[in-house]
Amino acid sequence: MTWHVPVEALRRYESGAIDATQQLSIEAHLVACDFCRSALAGSANRSALGRTWQAIEAELAAPAPGVIERSLLAFGVSDHSARLVAATPSLRRSWLLAIAAVLTLAVLVANGAEGGYIFFLAIAPLLPLAGIAAAFGPGIDPTYEIGIAAPIRGFRLLLIRSVAVLASTIALAAVAALFLPALDWRAGAWLLPCLAVVATALALSTIVNPLRATVWVAATWLVGVGAATWAATGEASARAVFGQQMQVAVVVVAIVAGFVLRARREELERGEHR
Amino acid sequence: MGPAGTITDEGLLVAIGEGDRDALRELYDRHAAWLLLRLRRRGADGTLAEEVLQDTFLAVWRKPQSYSGTGPVAAWIWGIGIRRLIDRLRRTWALQPLARGREETVVSAEDEVLLGVEFGDLAGALASLSPELRAVIQATVLDGLTTREAARLLRIPAGTVKTRMMRARAQLREELT
Repeated sequence: MTWHVPVEALRRYESGAIDATQQLSIEAHLVACDFCRSALAGSANRSALGRTWQAIEAELAAPAPGVIERSLLAFGVSDHSARLVAATPSLRRSWLLAIAAVLTLAVLVANGAEGGYIFFLAIAPLLPLAGIAAAFGPGIDPTYEIGIAAPIRGFRLLLIRSVAVLASTIALAAVAALFLPALDWRAGAWLLPCLAVVATALALSTIVNPLRATVWVAATWLVGVGAATWAATGEASARAVFGQQMQVAVVVVAIVAGFVLRARREELERGEHR
Repeated sequence: MGPAGTITDEGLLVAIGEGDRDALRELYDRHAAWLLLRLRRRGADGTLAEEVLQDTFLAVWRKPQSYSGTGPVAAWIWGIGIRRLIDRLRRTWALQPLARGREETVVSAEDEVLLGVEFGDLAGALASLSPELRAVIQATVLDGLTTREAARLLRIPAGTVKTRMMRARAQLREELT
């Protein structure tokens, strides 16, 4: 190209004091002419360009959000909450796969033996419990150190993650329940116990360290189910163990635990009882 | 960066496709200035132009392979930029009512310009187009937008873009013969 935009016309284009026809002509030429582009770049607004480049670099350096984070963002969850949930160890694929494996086993047992229902109903409530226990604590949570220093309430983080873990695990368990031999009330009998053990463990975490609280609650649950099964005098039926009385009892336990948790939530701030 | 200055824009795109950030920087140094200016001339004020510039180069970074290999790289970059600008403008427009009274001025402005035709050359013919007709020519011919995209940018119905385009062509033809 031999013709170039006169410097004076470029200046007027930059300032905006130019008639529309000349602007059209200059813009059409700039697309094709390296020389005039660099002439324009030479006198450009350095600060705006520098600022924008820094923003681009920052964007390039940021890790791409994962599937969980992106779907949460799509549902309108704020970006920092989405990041907190996505960093939860018990929402990793490996963890969810492990949950799915345990559920598959439990369903197989339930399909195989008469007493298998009890096995499924005893195991299902413990899975979210384990997930929530794994969502916190120095050994497992990769953001634990960051969390201690972060200007966010430990209680809020606990609730956000607990809800996320509960939701995902309950969804998996609900899918598993569809494969039980019969789709009656028993397929959902694990739901209230599930909420009760989680609430109890969280409430207990305000007193002892969360891992210990989880182990205690899980052990108590299993012993309780075992005792009830045994007390059902050999009649190993889910109806006898997970019947109405038991459902009412776990609701009471869940409500009491909820009150304890609410009253003692300050104790759950990070760095305590660890 | 030194020797990068001798690489063509197309070569830079290949390097960007391989994850070379220095190549992106070089492409940015070559094209950011005119792009920013041209965005400003299309109604992107202040930080909006910078946001669109950022969007554009992030898009270049993520999908350099979407350059078809024909035509100047600058035209391809502009195609990304103008579309990002339309996206952003639509989001801000969604929050505020349509500019009032814009449609009403069309006829009178056009009539006025039609009466003032007195040049025979192309530049004069273009200059004699009413601002509304010229905006349509600019959006479709120069910016390479489709009728629908031009309609979004100019905030007029697509049918209006078509009729204005026809009118502008007729007027230009008349003046150049």
